[in-house]
Amino acid sequence: MRDPSRTLSEPLLALQGVTKRFGALIALSDASIDIMPGEVHCILGENGAGKSTLCNLIFGVHVPDEGTMRFHGESYRPMGPSDALRSGIAMVHQHFSLVHDMTVVENVILGQQNGFVNTRAWAQRLDRLADDYGFALDPYAKIEDLSVGERQRVEIVKCLIREPRLFLLDEPTAVLLPDEIAALLDVCRRVAQSGCAVVLVTHKLAEIKKAADRVTVLRGGRVVARSDHPAEEIDALVRAMIQGDVKSLDKTAASALGVVETGGDHAGRTTPAQTPPKEAVQIDGLSVIDVQGVTRLDNFTLSIGPGEIVGVAGVEGNGQSELAAVLSGMGAPSRGRVFLRDLETTHLSPKEITAAGIGVVPEDRHTVGCVVEMSVAENMFLNRLEAFTSFGFLRRRELLQAARELMTRFDVRAVSAEVAFSALSGGNQQKAVLAREITLPKLLFLLAAQPTRGLDVGAVAAVYGHIRSACQSGAAVLLISSELDELIAVADRVVVLYRGRIMGTCAADPSERERIGGMMAGQAQ
Amino acid sequence: MSAALNMTRSLRGAVRPSVMISVAAVLAAAMVGVALIFAMGVPVVDAVGAFVDGTIGTPYAIAASINRSIAFALVGIGFVVANRANLVNVGGEGQIAVGGIAATAVALYGHVAGLPAGLPFLIPLIAATIAGMLWGSIAGVLKIKAGTNEVISTLLLSFIAVWLVYWCVQSPQLLRKPMTSSATLPESLEIPDSTQLPLLTGDYSFPVHIGLPVTLVIAIIAAIVLSKTVFGLQLRAVGFNPIAASRAGISYSRMVLISLAAAGGLGGLAGGFMLLGEQYVLKDGFSSGYGFDGLVAGLLARGSVVGVIAAALLFGFLRSGGINMEMVAGVPTALVMVIQGLIVVTLAGASFFMGRRA
Repeated sequence: MRDPSRTLSEPLLALQGVTKRFGALIALSDASIDIMPGEVHCILGENGAGKSTLCNLIFGVHVPDEGTMRFHGESYRPMGPSDALRSGIAMVHQHFSLVHDMTVVENVILGQQNGFVNTRAWAQRLDRLADDYGFALDPYAKIEDLSVGERQRVEIVKCLIREPRLFLLDEPTAVLLPDEIAALLDVCRRVAQSGCAVVLVTHKLAEIKKAADRVTVLRGGRVVARSDHPAEEIDALVRAMIQGDVKSLDKTAASALGVVETGGDHAGRTTPAQTPPKEAVQIDGLSVIDVQGVTRLDNFTLSIGPGEIVGVAGVEGNGQSELAAVLSGMGAPSRGRVFLRDLETTHLSPKEITAAGIGVVPEDRHTVGCVVEMSVAENMFLNRLEAFTSFGFLRRRELLQAARELMTRFDVRAVSAEVAFSALSGGNQQKAVLAREITLPKLLFLLAAQPTRGLDVGAVAAVYGHIRSACQSGAAVLLISSELDELIAVADRVVVLYRGRIMGTCAADPSERERIGGMMAGQAQ
Repeated sequence: MSAALNMTRSLRGAVRPSVMISVAAVLAAAMVGVALIFAMGVPVVDAVGAFVDGTIGTPYAIAASINRSIAFALVGIGFVVANRANLVNVGGEGQIAVGGIAATAVALYGHVAGLPAGLPFLIPLIAATIAGMLWGSIAGVLKIKAGTNEVISTLLLSFIAVWLVYWCVQSPQLLRKPMTSSATLPESLEIPDSTQLPLLTGDYSFPVHIGLPVTLVIAIIAAIVLSKTVFGLQLRAVGFNPIAASRAGISYSRMVLISLAAAGGLGGLAGGFMLLGEQYVLKDGFSSGYGFDGLVAGLLARGSVVGVIAAALLFGFLRSGGINMEMVAGVPTALVMVIQGLIVVTLAGASFFMGRRA
């Protein structure tokens, strides 16, 4: 398995036959990976392939059950993240850990130094670091005033200021604007050029094309492929990742993932009804002003026809969450009204909204979409348990039966319908939520917020398929997503939200990509 | 990582070693108790003998222990019900107190004494339950409307209720018995015979009252409601994830209100039983900390109704034995509280370490 051409130089980090089990689950099995100094090494894989486990083993969060790790030629057995940091391994996590009302430099100092602090000296170090890697960062800006991309830069700086020899990034691009992604990949390259090894965990192939020197593909906890020339071997890597052929991959999903360039081919897309009948959903001047008096959503007006998919583009935090909350009955608007056909739903409770035929796939699966401690079956019918009730008693057998049928139909893979929802992978959880919402007795309107976040290729394709089938059966669909490619691939038209306002509306066409990107960044058209 | 850890943890919880650990904790605490008695210079044999006499020495002792356990069990079941919705009701003491007040008031001044067939004691019991439900609902409303933490509100409401009892028995306009002399005690009149709870055996040497079967029925109903009904499921959903539950159309407010009212109602009923079945006279401090013992029983049971019954019986007998130990052997009854505390700490510690080893 070892690549002979690489034996010339010593690997910085060498994993040899590393295995990690969690109970019966083998998260990582006999993985051998060499990370060379000065390279950007991408770890590619679907959710549940073992990417995060790998990171956690390297960063000392977990201890391997079998196998050895060598760092700089010496045996490396970290018992915790502090060991890893001491050895010169730094990690940027998917979720930020920043103190919001402190400044950038204060956040950087946290955890690095005790006793007296010379803030000015640290700020100068930050400036120098920013110069070296070519990005701008004001050391005295407060975190809460920064964009998501800038906050991530702070996380990166927190790592780089330690001058690590190995730099781990776990799915760093999920929350970034297209421009910011490009900038991040550029920083990765520069860090690698300075001799440090960069390990970039991702499931986006476009990033591999742009940044990776080498790629290791994980599937089901095993190393299934490696490549020293990833840009030329993308198809083979995808095949290894999903154990199938790129050609068989849903076209829309493929273009949304960046496997193939989004072309003019929109075969997968449904055409809207020829003569649009009266609007299914009418959103009229919706505004949300939060308790601090900040306008989160400003005069949002939109109508969606039956069978139409309207995308809402925008960087996260520009009013999407508030819009989704109002539409799903989880929050009241300060102004404005929402109509579903002739029914005003503005102030209906979630229960009434469900009864009216509005399905909601919430942005935050774990806090809004499901109760992870309860069983799969219970979750799949959480909003209509009454259907399985006689005299208050739950007809559990029927519930299980119905759940099993739905699981088969929507390809939700679980050991059984009775296991805890938390035992499902992210993709299966999302398919289960989608199944529950799409199979509402009369679905008129489907609201899907970030429905493919964190999902693997196969699951993404399935989610698109289900959204499209809902739309074909006549439901209006509002798809909120921060992935521009996804919107272009799936939606009929796109409205762009910036600071709570609609910046503009475009056809969901690849030729509009730059215009949409500009509007996402706040450029008026 | 945490998912895997949680799984192991719940798996371990499901296995029966937890029963063994409980038994071991009780034995260990008992041994510490014996050591303390020894350290106090009291002959251990005398003290243990008095303890055993107080618990199972006579039919009367057994009955007194059981009656005490009834109150613990009701409060504990209420705790478990509210805890399903992730609410912590520490207001059992106050709920007992208002239940006692209501039962006394209705029994004495509700013109129920002459009613036929059981009504003379049933109506005061219902009044006690309703009073407890209302008391519990106050915490519920505060939680829903103002977001007040129910631990704080139920605890503070307990102090209010305990002092309400004091006010009632001090004021002749309220429940204090008519002042015939300056020596008239601050307590209510004795409730009429017909309002006193019938004894199971009808024999005053074994005075277990009808609260025992009623409590067992309530325990069975509670266990079924929690495990077999949609309501129980919805309660759990709200407890695990109120946001997801409310998105799924389950009303958080309704669940909070119902579960706290139910817990309060059971506490009130416990107060009614104590008054109508044992004490017959309302006195200051009549609730004697039973609400807190019941709370501990509920805590120890870790969500299981059967566990509540077991813990309630244990504490009921412990208390009886402790009282006798003080009277006969001169060992302060506080020792029993020490033992009770040790059991709780041991069990909590044991489960913590089991979780860690996973």
